[in-house]
Amino acid sequence: MGIRIGVDVGGTFTDFLVKDDEGGTRVYKASTTPGDPTIGFFNGLEKAATSDGQSLEEWLRRVETIVHGTTITTNAVLTGEGAVTGFVTTAGFRDMLNMRRGIKEKQFENYAPPPQLVPRRRIAAARERVSSEGEIVAPLNESDIRSAAEQFRAQGVEAVAVSYLWSFRNDRHERRTKEILEQELPGVYVSLSTDVLPQIRAYERHSTTVLNSYVGPVLSRYLSRLQQRLHDLGFGGTLLIMQSNGGVMSPEVAQRFASNTLLSGPAGAPQAGIHYGAVHGFRNLITVDMGGTSFDVALIRNGLPSVTTEGSIGGHRVASPILDIHTVGSGGGSIAWIDAGGLLNVGPKSAGAVPGPACYGRGGVLPTVTDANYVLGYLDSAGDELTLDGGAAQEAIAKHIAQPLQVGVVDAAFGIYQVVNADMAAAISVASVQRGYDPREFVLVVAGGIGPLHAGAIARDLEIPLILIPRESSVFCAAGMLISDLKHDYVHTYAREFEAVDLDAVAQIYREISEKAMNTLEAENVSTRKVVLEYSADLRYVGQFNEVEVPAFPGGTFTSAALEELESAFHRRHDDLYGYSTPGSPIEIINLRVSARGLTEKPTVELVGARGTDSSAARTGSRKAWFNGAFSETPVYDGLRLFHGNIVFGPAIVVQPTTTILVPPDFELTCDAANNYLMHRKGSDLKALVGRLTEEVAA
Amino acid sequence: MNMATGVTDVDPIKVSVISSRLDAISKEIGQTMLRTSRSPIFSEARDFVTGIFDHRLRLLAQTAYIPVLMGALPFALESIAKEYAGDISEGDVFILNDPYRGNNHPPDITIAKPVFAEGAVQFWAVSKGHHADVGGGGVVGYNPAAHTVWEECVRIPPAKLLEKGKRNKSLWDFILINVRMPWLVEADLECQIGACTIGERSLRSLIRKYGLPVLHSAADHILDASERQTRAALRAVPNGVYRAESFIDHDGVDKARKIGVRLALTVSDEAVHFDWSDSDPQAIGYVNSTLANTVSASFQALFMTVCSEVKYNEGALRALSVEAKEGSILNAREPAPVTCCTVAAAQTIIETTWLALAQAVPERVYAGWGRWLAPATMGFNPRTQRPFGDIHFMGKAGAGATHGLDGWDHIGPSVTAGGLRAPDPELHELINPYTVLRYEYWPDSAGPGRWRGGIGAVCRWRVDADGIMAVNFGGGVNEETRPYGLEGGHRAPVSKVLVHRRDGQVENIDTETFFALNKGDEVEIYETGGGGYGDPLTRDRAQVADDIADGLVSVAEARRVYGWHPNAVSATANEAA
Repeated sequence: MGIRIGVDVGGTFTDFLVKDDEGGTRVYKASTTPGDPTIGFFNGLEKAATSDGQSLEEWLRRVETIVHGTTITTNAVLTGEGAVTGFVTTAGFRDMLNMRRGIKEKQFENYAPPPQLVPRRRIAAARERVSSEGEIVAPLNESDIRSAAEQFRAQGVEAVAVSYLWSFRNDRHERRTKEILEQELPGVYVSLSTDVLPQIRAYERHSTTVLNSYVGPVLSRYLSRLQQRLHDLGFGGTLLIMQSNGGVMSPEVAQRFASNTLLSGPAGAPQAGIHYGAVHGFRNLITVDMGGTSFDVALIRNGLPSVTTEGSIGGHRVASPILDIHTVGSGGGSIAWIDAGGLLNVGPKSAGAVPGPACYGRGGVLPTVTDANYVLGYLDSAGDELTLDGGAAQEAIAKHIAQPLQVGVVDAAFGIYQVVNADMAAAISVASVQRGYDPREFVLVVAGGIGPLHAGAIARDLEIPLILIPRESSVFCAAGMLISDLKHDYVHTYAREFEAVDLDAVAQIYREISEKAMNTLEAENVSTRKVVLEYSADLRYVGQFNEVEVPAFPGGTFTSAALEELESAFHRRHDDLYGYSTPGSPIEIINLRVSARGLTEKPTVELVGARGTDSSAARTGSRKAWFNGAFSETPVYDGLRLFHGNIVFGPAIVVQPTTTILVPPDFELTCDAANNYLMHRKGSDLKALVGRLTEEVAA
Repeated sequence: MNMATGVTDVDPIKVSVISSRLDAISKEIGQTMLRTSRSPIFSEARDFVTGIFDHRLRLLAQTAYIPVLMGALPFALESIAKEYAGDISEGDVFILNDPYRGNNHPPDITIAKPVFAEGAVQFWAVSKGHHADVGGGGVVGYNPAAHTVWEECVRIPPAKLLEKGKRNKSLWDFILINVRMPWLVEADLECQIGACTIGERSLRSLIRKYGLPVLHSAADHILDASERQTRAALRAVPNGVYRAESFIDHDGVDKARKIGVRLALTVSDEAVHFDWSDSDPQAIGYVNSTLANTVSASFQALFMTVCSEVKYNEGALRALSVEAKEGSILNAREPAPVTCCTVAAAQTIIETTWLALAQAVPERVYAGWGRWLAPATMGFNPRTQRPFGDIHFMGKAGAGATHGLDGWDHIGPSVTAGGLRAPDPELHELINPYTVLRYEYWPDSAGPGRWRGGIGAVCRWRVDADGIMAVNFGGGVNEETRPYGLEGGHRAPVSKVLVHRRDGQVENIDTETFFALNKGDEVEIYETGGGGYGDPLTRDRAQVADDIADGLVSVAEARRVYGWHPNAVSATANEAA
């Protein structure tokens, strides 16, 4: 196997994880270049090549796969710099996209609504109508499409989205519209709802399709530039693009379904968690990634990450399946403040990278989580590129927190530490308890440079018994991308009551979408042997307005027994999620789904032999850190000199070049066979814990 | 610190932590309701609230999608707790809908579950939501012909729906036999109980973690903090007595009589007193308000403006007081009918409060939001072979403009504050015997201003079944009740509901009116926009040009009210270039 690289473009840094041909792993970071992210991309590759003593061209020739997570589409939406987009929809329903179902998220506050993706003047109404049963009740008025095209041309439209009412029951009008638009507007990017999301709920379908067109040209241009440059440098391997659903796809598919990258930023994390957990056989994990401005939580159950169709970006709905990653505004840069009632709050405002925390000395004057960590002695300048300014941290906390609360500076810093921990614990609770799961049955996998400073406190709060900290925790998402499968999700609305289900019709729909999936994966050079198809269905009690997704027809056996099993699986899942079920009442099937994966080669994890529990060789010194209401001299260890079997007893601090781990006094940390760390409460037996946590969670 | 109650002191950090946990639990209860309810009124439109109370019946945290319900929760719980004092056991679940026993109006059924620890009630998880039917002679609860509350609903006093965890069979049977869609009502009661149970589960784990003394002491601190926040916010309003008056369109019985709602709002230092005593006497028809609803709407008007940053709990309300004369339209005497109070009365209360506040702090106040005007309908759907009942939430009005911002388009009436989710027309067609023909913005419906009102909507649908009963309710059909402008901003037009009969006749349906629908009829709602703020002649010309290009303001209207001369803009543009 050649070199494999994960490249994750973040807000501040672009992370690189390089797995070389001998199984070695290296981490690089380059500054992100927002104007043209390809610059940062190639700067990082250059660094890696140089450290191998090769030119970029020589080195790239050895590279087999590059998996790339890009936020170019995310940023285009958030900054309003997507393509000039036109929208064609059913006459009489021109404004559903911009109505956004009439919701104001923060009801009591007075603020402007989110900027529109497409202003009304670029929304064309086409006379046509398909009934709820899929019959054409009013034929498509083709002259409406031609005049829309003429108008779009005059408006300089670069991309068009088409979404009609009930088009998932009959796609003829959308297909014909596309033909006309392609004749009239050659070179313009066109998306149909029937390709992007053939699913009931018009606003959600419109919005997802429009987003696809809005970012399609942006992603296409970016990927063409990137591929050209890679080609010029002699790269002959495979480039894969990260998606919001946790899978990867080819650049060709990405260009057609650009909206699938909108929420891909944190989507590498669950796969990374699964990978690191697999070493011990853990299949139930909660991954948390604490960055500068946000904290991302994902839940993995029986080896599968949770999926949601309730995503949104910039106030616009993305209804395609994405990994269910719950994000809150808690990060190292989160600013602490006192509200009008006198209570301490942390975030969601962040000092970001610029001006940054006060201790960065880049002009920040407001107290942040990083400042608190510094004052408490948890974080130190040593090992960082940055020299931290302790005086500035003290001053910011004293002025904005300690004095108003009339407490000491250290107490105030510890307050910030506790409040941000509580917010993060609450976020984990939302991702687990609120979805019907008990966090005590999960392993907490911690990522981000400072995530491991907070992990112990969070785990204690939620009674999570075991923490796994990967050695490469600071480039966690890049690591996850490298081991992601190709993955494509398909949906088709069926919408029938359970008693009226026509098994043949259901099987037919499943076969059609499976075929679509197989064709796509084949075009991506996946051999049939490597394809895994998973079937599921969205069900609800008749009258409900929200569905529950349940696995269906395992192995593609469309029997009445499998249909019955689907029904009882729904009742069970409903009970899990919401505390009750009513097996007597009628249910209905709304959507049929297929998730198709093309399995990729996974790098093997090299396990090393145990070297005994003694960790004293890694001890580098000590510093004062705040535990149990006092500063005490706390041992400091060099993480890179800890080996399999070594145990570090808290209180202790383990330092690595891009990560610091805090081992609280009531915890101990063990280096495992893959050179990652397991941390748990003193007095709990690690072996027994590992044994218990590798069991399957009852369905 | 708190000597009066003699409770344990807790540090301010822990208070912050517990406060955010309580908010999260209240949201959890709300999410469960949203996801599992069966009536579209609950789950699509989100017409419900949830809350957590402590053992002293103080509201600690709430989640309101429809805020006009939230101020009514404490009244309902107090009534339940008083009625059953000394007779509350673990596993009990209480129900209440009677408006004269603490509930705001009959369709919003209150469900309350006590949370026990150490052998006593420590907290309450409460939910309240609008049910698909509560019996009576109306449509989805709305009966504009009612002269008493008995014609509106089956009255449920505080009662035990579950006793020590066991269903009180006779009560369930009694309720379900008195409603039209028993399977929907039963499932939604289950959903409310399930949501409270989820809340109970999380509250118990909070008790395990912190212990009761810490939690109860933290509650004191949280409420005190909110009180300080409210008082700080109120400091921005100059002291004085501000008076205003608005009108409810009519009560459905005497359609010629508009009903006056009058307020003397006294701001003194850091407190606010609402005195509604000068309002008209109670009406015969169902627009009368209960005190719970009057208090709730009054507070909402403040929380949407000067108190928008304050957390809504018992502490936040300490600085506020409300007075309404018994026997008046805003504090009706039993057994007057009251179902329409959360709409007709509440939106009038909110407008009147804003008009009073506008004399003190106009830059903090909204121009008028379009009032609710749309029908509820009920009948049998031959396609699904089931009865159905729904409220037509697609007709959503525009919000009023404020200093600096246009109003939000298609947002719904002020009582919902933007929390009402418009139904999906496709799902709507699956359940109801209707085909939606048109659903889009209504051009020229926004009140002009330097900042214009939000745009209203037109919704038209065809009826595909016979024998459907409908009630039009809300208001905003009269000259006096269309959305007002502020500081030189203009009013928005009146709303209207038309029925295009199969034979070509067109009927303009008044508010608070029964009507029948049959196959082939088409209903068309014109839901108005919001009022404008500031002189429209001073509106940014680029914004006027945008509205014209988007077809939201016609050129004729632009010339008439915005002083629009197309050449003037190109002249300005040329100068700029």
